Amino acid sequence: MLDWEGLIRRRLAGLRLDAAEKGEVQEELAAHLEETYDRLRGEGLSAKDAVRDTLSQVKDWKYLREEICFARTKEKPVTLRTKRLWLPSLVTLLVSMVMLPILESLGLKAQFLFLKGPHDRSYVFTVYTVWLMMLPFVGALGAYLSRRAGGAHSAVIISGIFPALAFFIALLFVLPFMGFLEHGLEANARSVFETLTNEPFGRIGVMTGWVLAPGACLFIGVLVCLLILRQLTPRDIAGR
Amino acid sequence: MIGSGIKRGTAELAVLSVLQDGPLHGYELARRIEQQSNGALCFTLAALYPMLYRMEQQRLIRGSWETSANGRRRRCYRLTPAGKKRLSPLRREWAELFRALRRLTKVEHA
Repeated sequence: MLDWEGLIRRRLAGLRLDAAEKGEVQEELAAHLEETYDRLRGEGLSAKDAVRDTLSQVKDWKYLREEICFARTKEKPVTLRTKRLWLPSLVTLLVSMVMLPILESLGLKAQFLFLKGPHDRSYVFTVYTVWLMMLPFVGALGAYLSRRAGGAHSAVIISGIFPALAFFIALLFVLPFMGFLEHGLEANARSVFETLTNEPFGRIGVMTGWVLAPGACLFIGVLVCLLILRQLTPRDIAGR
Repeated sequence: MIGSGIKRGTAELAVLSVLQDGPLHGYELARRIEQQSNGALCFTLAALYPMLYRMEQQRLIRGSWETSANGRRRRCYRLTPAGKKRLSPLRREWAELFRALRRLTKVEHA
């Protein structure tokens, strides 16, 4: 006998409803598939053909998931994506960006790390220690906002580490193109640009300082947030 | 077979009309619509359930779990007073539309 409920559970795994409601939807749809299959078998179809025809009722499981979610929560998939991914990501990015000048204005300046590179050259890297120490809280905030809106694990993680992703994209695409405007760049931006384009060792350093280290700190916050919220259903979280 | 655009518009009327005869679970509902429309209206699982959940949110129908004679648990849908109230104006609107289309296209019953 086919496990229709197991199949529906797998196909609708990302359905963002609370556990009880999700269970009811899964049970109901599984019952529908089971009855369709039984009827097709009764009409003389082979088991293989009956399964194929039964499953042909759903062309796009992701779309069905979004439609069910929309129907039961009265929210459009686009609105849901904005609430679960883009808004928390934007908050995380803004907070992390605003925090940097605020910390500097409070006298919590960056530290300078001197490293010896290839060919005996010295490199100076700027390390914003306090900022990095605050980033887990920012990551946790983004993750919490996404989770509260019913975000899936992927949306929660992306929302939490979004500033690191944005820095990565900026370093990868924006700064090289700014070479055309090199003379218009401020001194520190020009130094970042030169390090990035000319020195492999410098490139690793800048990537570590602006992408990997912040990303790791933000990710720690996301993990802690997920661990804390693990025991709560989306309805509990939404009720907060 | 009727195209999906027109079908979507008639879905609410079809569900409310069939449920007027008594409560049914999703599978039975789809079969009944298919049989009573001589196969012209077929609702797949993907089309049926989002629509049922939407109509439930609008309080036109109400679903409740029941156990059938063979021991299977099924969610049965029945019309609510709001659903009954919605049915008559909906029928009038569609009847009016069909009359208008008949006049326009000069399509008559054979």
